[in-house]
Amino acid sequence: MSAPESATHNPIDIDPGKCVRCDFCDWICPGDLIYHEDGNKEKLPVVMYPDECWYCGLCQSICPADAITIIFPEEMIHNKTDVVSLLGKVVK
Amino acid sequence: MSDGWNEIDTDLLVIGGGVAGSLAAIPALEAGLKVVICEKGRLLDHCGSVGCGVDHYLTVMDSGPEWDTPEFLIKHVPGLTDGIVDMAVTSKVIHQMPRILKKIESFGVDFKDPRIGDYYRLRSFGLPGTYHINFDGTDFKKLIGQQVRRGRATVLMRTMGVQLLIDDNRAYGALAFNFRTGEWFAIRAKAVMLAAGEVNRLSKNASGLAFDSWHFPYNTGDAHAMGYRAGAKLANMEFIESTLTPKGFSAQGLNALVSLGAYFVNKSGERFMFKYDEKGENARRAVLADAVVNEFLLGNGPIYVDLRHLPEDELDHMEATLQVDRYTMPAFYDQKKLNFREDLVEISVSEFSIRRSGVYFRGSGLAVDTNGETSVEGLFAAGDCATVSGGIAGAAVLGHIAGEGAVKRIHTSPRSLPEIDREAAGAIRAEAMGCLGRPDGMPWRELEDQTRQTVTDYVGVRRNDKGLRLALATLHALAEKEPTLQADDLHGLMRVYESKSIRLCAELMATTSLTRKETRTRSAHRRLDYPETDDRNWRKFIIVERGADGPAVSTLTTDRPLADAFGRAPERGEADVGT
Ligand SMILES: Cc1cc2nc3c(=O)[nH]c(=O)nc-3n(C[C@H](O)[C@H](O)[C@H](O)COP(=O)(O)OP(=O)(O)OC[C@H]3O[C@@H](n4cnc5c(N)ncnc54)[C@H](O)[C@@H]3O)c2cc1C
Ligand code: SF4
Ligand code: SF4
Repeated sequence: MSAPESATHNPIDIDPGKCVRCDFCDWICPGDLIYHEDGNKEKLPVVMYPDECWYCGLCQSICPADAITIIFPEEMIHNKTDVVSLLGKVVK
Repeated sequence: MSDGWNEIDTDLLVIGGGVAGSLAAIPALEAGLKVVICEKGRLLDHCGSVGCGVDHYLTVMDSGPEWDTPEFLIKHVPGLTDGIVDMAVTSKVIHQMPRILKKIESFGVDFKDPRIGDYYRLRSFGLPGTYHINFDGTDFKKLIGQQVRRGRATVLMRTMGVQLLIDDNRAYGALAFNFRTGEWFAIRAKAVMLAAGEVNRLSKNASGLAFDSWHFPYNTGDAHAMGYRAGAKLANMEFIESTLTPKGFSAQGLNALVSLGAYFVNKSGERFMFKYDEKGENARRAVLADAVVNEFLLGNGPIYVDLRHLPEDELDHMEATLQVDRYTMPAFYDQKKLNFREDLVEISVSEFSIRRSGVYFRGSGLAVDTNGETSVEGLFAAGDCATVSGGIAGAAVLGHIAGEGAVKRIHTSPRSLPEIDREAAGAIRAEAMGCLGRPDGMPWRELEDQTRQTVTDYVGVRRNDKGLRLALATLHALAEKEPTLQADDLHGLMRVYESKSIRLCAELMATTSLTRKETRTRSAHRRLDYPETDDRNWRKFIIVERGADGPAVSTLTTDRPLADAFGRAPERGEADVGT
């Protein structure tokens, strides 16, 4: 994985006590981020590419065991960006 | 052909199984044809932009009043699109809206509001009537997907279309690969439908996270890129679409807030929208975004949405439906500890996408005729990658029209399918798989980050000649590095293809922006060096296609349909369709 160092925030928390290892989150994630070996009842699903998350919550909405919580990163919750920096540079 | 290829022959190949692709498959299945769908998602019932649900559907219904007739809406389209719109295709789409609405209802989608037992229709974004049906569209895509599966289409899931097969300006299939198994597919088809959505991950937003995007971040202009490389003509690529989002989370919801009566206020608490448009907060999306851009540049930020004046029952309704468009919105407000009944909601300008520049019916992408066919014979396009688009309704209606067009094309072309050039196909696969064994190559993230920074700085809401030329020089230099791109695994290979599509679309956007020497639709195309709208010289489409040394640009006046630039002999009776 070549994810940059700063992108280690995990967008979803899977509760190992609740998860029934059903594969649904792996199937529904539109970004192909969640991997779980089909039918494996031992292992938990893994978020392989955390920095590619859309924060759509489809995984949470489909989870039959209510095992998933979405966790927004700091830069989304308490955003400090100056919006003017997104509005372009004028080359004279 | 073998050599490890999975070979499939079919009648219609659809690339992208979202709203447009699914609606295109349906008429072909009804005609008894074989349909193959390539889709990056794993479940047809949940894939694409609307996998998490939708809440509004734009349509005329012919319910009685004059405003609800196709003719009335059609009359207003040139005004809504600032004169840049393909009226031939748009008229046909609007005429077919009532029929396709009924058809989607027959799949089980319930557009009625259970509270009133009728359609709940709202006015928004400057449209001249209450054309938006507000509904609970949680299962919208599921019911459409089920209809396609009932028709027995072959659906190749987690399979990305990467290259069209073209013979003598005629499309006859595509190459695709499965990014979980590594299987490669060579699919021959009598007609090909491009329905892979719009172009996202194109510029930066407040959070700085590339995949935090208002629109579906996994739609990356693959249809535009494949079509362009195949020689198809594209139009309206110069226009930017952006919106206003809660700061830090690029998500939908603006439509709902605006139609409920939210106010926009600046740092001084001033309600500023009426300075920009007599409709105030009910102006078109492009006008709303432009006004906020302007307030920021005037130093009037932060900008907020104010909901505090709304009646309790409206706020209750809003709270109850907040998750329909974006499931995680309540969790976001929760984690932020923000209560919109008491607090102002700080907003930001979103990242840009190439889609339909905040206006209905003027899509940015593959030019199509009234059958949904592009300038390449047998190659069709619909949805947010085509030149007429308008949310789920636009995608559904043009998708269905294009599906019917493909059926006609399949029935009238007796030609047998050409043999696939094994060597060329093998070279494409070898080049792709080469990305996996190149540990010192350029990561796709780097190509994307540099493209995004370039677009943000020089191809965004403040364009001028010098900046656009600088952007093009950077984008060309990045193209030179593409052969060194590297991926860690098959999933990364998908991202490599996506990042190349994004860079190419940025180049097409910069090229066409440089051509349009005027400002139109406010910040959707603002040239600081040509600040006025110039109808005399620029009420024209800018068409771009592959030339000998990169993108070649031409223009066409907008009193003619884009198909006039195709050089295809019109069908008999075609001239009077929907004009
Ligand atoms: C969260 C959200 C809410 C929205 N709400 C509304 C609403 O309420 N009303 C409304 O009118 N509009 C809404 N929209 C907009 C609407 O969803 C789009 O305009 C519409 O879906 C466009 O249809 P499409 O078929 O072009 O794209 P999509 O429905 O996104 O389908 C494109 C498909 O192509 C696939 N794909 C992409 N590239 C490839 C490739 N290379 N190979 C194979 N497959 C590929 C994707 O996986 C995707 O499934 C919303 C959008 C979002 C993101
Ligand atoms: S929130 Fe969406 S994108 Fe993120 S892991 Fe869950 S399903 Fe995937
Ligand atoms: S959907 Fe829920 S229960 Fe099923 S594997 Fe994922 S986290 Fe576990």
